Amino acid sequence: MSTKKNGNAITTEFQFPQPKEKQTCMELIYNGKEGTYFGRTPKSWGQLMLFYTIFYIVLAGLFAICMQGLFASLSDKEPTWKLERSLIGTNPGLGFRPLSEETERGSVIQFDTKKPVEGAYWTGLVDQFLEKYRSTGEKKFCNFNQTNGANKVCVVNVDNFGPCSKETGYGYQNGRPCIFLKLNKIFNWVPDFYENVKTLPNEMPSDLKEHIGNLTEIERKQIWVSCKGLHPIDEESIGEMKYYPGRGFPTFYYPYLNQPGYLSPLIAVQFEKLKQNQLVNIECRAWAKNIIYSGSLNARTGSVTFQLFVD
Amino acid sequence: MALRSDFEHGRADSYRIATVIPTDDDNRTADGHLKSKRRMPPKPAKKENLEDLKQELDIDFHKVTPEELYQRFQTHPENGLSHAKAKENLERDGPNALTPPKQTPEWVKFCKNLFGGFAMLLWIGAILCFVAYSILASTSEEPSDDNLYLGIVLSAVVIVTGIFSYYQESKSSKIMESFKNMVPQFATVIREGEKLTLRAEDLVLGDVVEVKFGDRIPADIRIIEARNFKVDNSSLTGESEPQSRGPEFTHENPLETKNLAFFSTNAVEGTAKGVVISCGDHTVMGRIAGLASGLDTGETPIAKEIHHFIHLITGVAVFLGVTFFVIAFILGYHWLDAVIFLIGIIVANVPEGLLATVTVCLTLTAKRMASKNCLVKNLEAVETLGSTSTICSDKTGTLTQNRMTVAHMWFDNQIIEADTTEDQSGVQYDRTSPGFKALSRIATLCNRAEFKGGQEGVPILKKEVSGDASEAALLKCMELALGDVMNIRKRNRKIAEIPFNSTNKYQVSIHETEDPSDPRYLLVMKGAPERILERCSTIFINGKEKVLDEEMKEAFNNAYMELGGLGERVLGFCDFMLPSDKYPTGFKFNTDDVNFPIDNLRFVGLMSMIDPPRAAVPDAVAKCRSAGIKVIMVTGDHPITAKAIAKSVGIISEGNETVEDIAQRLNIPVSEVNPREAKAAVVHGAELRDVTPEQLDDILRYHTEIVFARTSPQQKLIIVEGCQRMGAIVAVTGDGVNDSPALKKADIGVAMGIAGSDVSKQAADMILLDDNFASIVTGVEEGRLIFDNLKKSIAYTLTSNIPEISPFLAFILCDIPLPLGTVTILCIDLGTDMVPAISLAYEEAESDIMKRRPRSPLFDKLVNERLISMAYGQIGMIQAAAGFFVYFVIMAENGFLPMKLFGIRKMWDSKAVNDLTDSYGQEWTYRDRKTLEYTCHTAFFVSIVVVQWADLIICKTRRNSVFQQGMRNWALNFGLVFETVLAAFLSYCPGMDKGLRMYPLKFVWWLPAIPFMLAIFIYDEIRRFYLRRNPGGWLEQETYY
Repeated sequence: MSTKKNGNAITTEFQFPQPKEKQTCMELIYNGKEGTYFGRTPKSWGQLMLFYTIFYIVLAGLFAICMQGLFASLSDKEPTWKLERSLIGTNPGLGFRPLSEETERGSVIQFDTKKPVEGAYWTGLVDQFLEKYRSTGEKKFCNFNQTNGANKVCVVNVDNFGPCSKETGYGYQNGRPCIFLKLNKIFNWVPDFYENVKTLPNEMPSDLKEHIGNLTEIERKQIWVSCKGLHPIDEESIGEMKYYPGRGFPTFYYPYLNQPGYLSPLIAVQFEKLKQNQLVNIECRAWAKNIIYSGSLNARTGSVTFQLFVD
Repeated sequence: MALRSDFEHGRADSYRIATVIPTDDDNRTADGHLKSKRRMPPKPAKKENLEDLKQELDIDFHKVTPEELYQRFQTHPENGLSHAKAKENLERDGPNALTPPKQTPEWVKFCKNLFGGFAMLLWIGAILCFVAYSILASTSEEPSDDNLYLGIVLSAVVIVTGIFSYYQESKSSKIMESFKNMVPQFATVIREGEKLTLRAEDLVLGDVVEVKFGDRIPADIRIIEARNFKVDNSSLTGESEPQSRGPEFTHENPLETKNLAFFSTNAVEGTAKGVVISCGDHTVMGRIAGLASGLDTGETPIAKEIHHFIHLITGVAVFLGVTFFVIAFILGYHWLDAVIFLIGIIVANVPEGLLATVTVCLTLTAKRMASKNCLVKNLEAVETLGSTSTICSDKTGTLTQNRMTVAHMWFDNQIIEADTTEDQSGVQYDRTSPGFKALSRIATLCNRAEFKGGQEGVPILKKEVSGDASEAALLKCMELALGDVMNIRKRNRKIAEIPFNSTNKYQVSIHETEDPSDPRYLLVMKGAPERILERCSTIFINGKEKVLDEEMKEAFNNAYMELGGLGERVLGFCDFMLPSDKYPTGFKFNTDDVNFPIDNLRFVGLMSMIDPPRAAVPDAVAKCRSAGIKVIMVTGDHPITAKAIAKSVGIISEGNETVEDIAQRLNIPVSEVNPREAKAAVVHGAELRDVTPEQLDDILRYHTEIVFARTSPQQKLIIVEGCQRMGAIVAVTGDGVNDSPALKKADIGVAMGIAGSDVSKQAADMILLDDNFASIVTGVEEGRLIFDNLKKSIAYTLTSNIPEISPFLAFILCDIPLPLGTVTILCIDLGTDMVPAISLAYEEAESDIMKRRPRSPLFDKLVNERLISMAYGQIGMIQAAAGFFVYFVIMAENGFLPMKLFGIRKMWDSKAVNDLTDSYGQEWTYRDRKTLEYTCHTAFFVSIVVVQWADLIICKTRRNSVFQQGMRNWALNFGLVFETVLAAFLSYCPGMDKGLRMYPLKFVWWLPAIPFMLAIFIYDEIRRFYLRRNPGGWLEQETYY
């Protein structure tokens, strides 16, 4: 713009720049003398728009081509990077349900036994979660003796959860809530279970050790799960827990290979005598040789925490 | 503009009146003849311009009788003050020293650096971080340290950059301190009848002091006794000639009267005794220094540019920040999230490293300029010089060598040119003719100047000489022509001498001759040519003595006119062999009651002297001219001398005429000449005092080549203001104390390192270490280059703002996991971008920057809409595309296809969700997906580095192709390597995952940015190709920054 404005000065060899005329606010928006809106004529705006439109179309084209290249390199079935080459790694965490969709509520499960509505909220969430498990399809019941074929999926029987059934409202109405635990799916991850009772880690709760000791060797092919109060005070108020259908995820469900219809095995933990009117922090942990545990809040691995608050 | 003036020699300096031809220059009558009347006028010009100073200078110490003076100060001419009284006065008045200009306290300077510019914005960011953290800490059990961490980092960034700029600033002010005269001055004082040597600061009113040649006058003194006392008032009044001082009261005006000598001027000859009449800030010098420090200097152009830029960027940051803060609320985000967005947007928007980069670039240029003899006191002045459109230059010492040199001789009825060049590379002349021999004998013998001791290795022309400037010139000329002058003088012993005085206007000495067989004495005389001629009856031509007839007188007059017309100071020489019968060996010559002939002598010749221009100046002036810079000469010297020098250095170019020249050529009165026709003008100080500002504007506007002569240094201020009124950016050179107001007022004041007074150096922004005008021109070149390079540097730095901001916007608007974190943004701004941005300061100019006009401070902005449009709208967008592409690649390859990412943010960032499902059914723990996210940050960061390679290369040039420019800037090449190595280090160094949340990348993740890098390079090469093909075209108007 500057070149235009200097032109009409008196012709002397040394021109000194003269300040622009002050413009009023209205003139900034529309200047009738020069026919400019916001300092440009409509034509000038048009040219600029056209330039940028073309520029961005070309840029979008380049981006689209690159994205096409990316998609071409991806497979529908399996991720490009797997296990230790992927950032997901080889150390699955645990997940729990019911989990509120309102992330502000965090991992707190709070309800009042006297207000059925609150319990029903969680019951509904569990129902929703178990929906997939109830749908029938071509599935196969597996057991420890009968390992799975490559692309066949072992069924998870939702009727095995004992008192944690839909009929009882998963215990939310009577203050004995059931929490469903599942191990995170990692493509092609195979558990390395504890074969020998003697090699069980020291920090494993004794009741679990005892439980494992009572099982037959073939039944020990499981990823064990244990829950406890996070802090000593929680330990006091956690009360008794029951695990359904058992204390572990049987290894015949693994590996996960993105098979159609694959569903994670579940364990329902029922808290039978939870202290009421108190927030109880519960930590559940999975046990296998290749599950490394870390309890820190920001870098939790091999475990999950949640809070129960029953009024 | 009429240049008629009957104002004549303004200085009451006897020697000049005696030796300069008796005309005032440009003071020709309409028919071109030189007027020749002379008179000794008062100095009205000065009165006018010293007005404000004069009012205060209402003193009568010079008028009262000495007795009254002693009484007033309770002092005594022989015994001085009593110790008790001196102590009392010292306590009352304080030390005799100038109060240093008010310094901003160090902590205020520090705070300015800590809170100025972008710092405030970053402080707000940091405070928001701390607020967010403390709220999180008080509400949640195990709060994430992210905000605390970021707050600390931001504060650290602000503090470190603050300390850095403060350090740079104090470093450049330290340069100044080195200039302060650290050697304490001493003065000889008489107190209670005892001579004491005291520090000059301890002098008090009424002290009786003794001053001898070589001393600096310790305070304003009234002289009560003097022997041959001369002072150099040049630093006070601009008069370059030493002036004699004595006890007699000669003038109402304190500055003119002979019985006052002023603080900080130098005694060059003789001795004197005086009473201190004012001290410290009350001295004349102190008042002028005070006037200078009171002037408002205003912001430097580059400071204005940077403020403009900061406002622009701050505006964008605040606008985006607030907009998205509001949008976040509308979208239903928690307010704490909105605050965190705000922090992110601020951090992304502010180019944290840019101000430091600018400082470093300016420092580098300042260093480069210092190595070329331009010492910059104020960093910003580096660029000011580049945008200078007018230079008001002093003559003496700046354009000239400040050394009277014999330029011409006239003997044997012909004018001989002497060599005036600094290195004696000019023409040589015949040194064997009898005429020259006779002339040189007089010049050698009738000369009291001597070389100072201890200068064996120094070239003759550079040797210091004690004595008058003209005599020094003769001495050097003779030393060059004949060899050992002192030896010649020894062989021709001086018997008697009548020193020069202003009534005779000649100097005579009588010598024995070196020829032992000749018993005659030789009388030699030199002085004002017409006076010398009057005393001669014969003339020595071609070895023969001829009668001085009318023809010869005509020849003399022609030569005299010609040399005078060149602005040279002419001296006449004659001699006489005293007959041995009348004046036998051992004759007692009486110089008081002259008993020897001083009439009917033999005229030998003329010698003329000038202070010749420096060798490099004509080139430099021509360069300025082609660079569109107007060079105005402002000098206290004679118009005719000024004009001659102006012509010889090209300030008045060949063929350009002044109004007077036109009048003379056309033989019409000056008043009939259309002033518009004359391109050149020589303006006399006396006229200047009568012109209105409008007339001055006309002079400045319509004359391209202007010389202001006989200007009092106060008029310099008026001229500077006039130029500034016209919209020019003015550089002013000066060395005297009285120049300091003009130096201060100028956009860039340039003081002289050698000749300059301390006060002028204090007021200036830049100091020329070699006093050479040519150094200013190199300074201009550097200043222009750095402006261009700063533009490039800023364009480079700003570009990466878009890939920094856009992830945040996408994060908020598309609900995707954050593609680039605040810490990584800081790593770019303060890490990888810094060295390349600085390296652009080393970039060579694309074209001859001294061939274009100075930038217009009103239109040619450092950061203009075209630069923003390029950096933000075009290159930045390509960079952002590259970053997002890398982000999508990493997410997709790990399992999260792009479509899955949209809307996932809440679940992604929730710690409660420990099993987030990706596109392949895998379930991610919070920890794993955060690792994934931070890896994306790292990859985004790396891809910005990759695209910044191309950006750096395209920013090397604004118009040329990089293939024309080449890659010879090794600092820049190093910058390319540096940013890559740093990026690799940040990504791969163990521990970075904990410290900066940077994770190692697979090699292939460096590659997705490459197509975009190439796109930037190719796009910009094409753009610049069109720019060169269609100069002035649409693309240039819209994209040439």
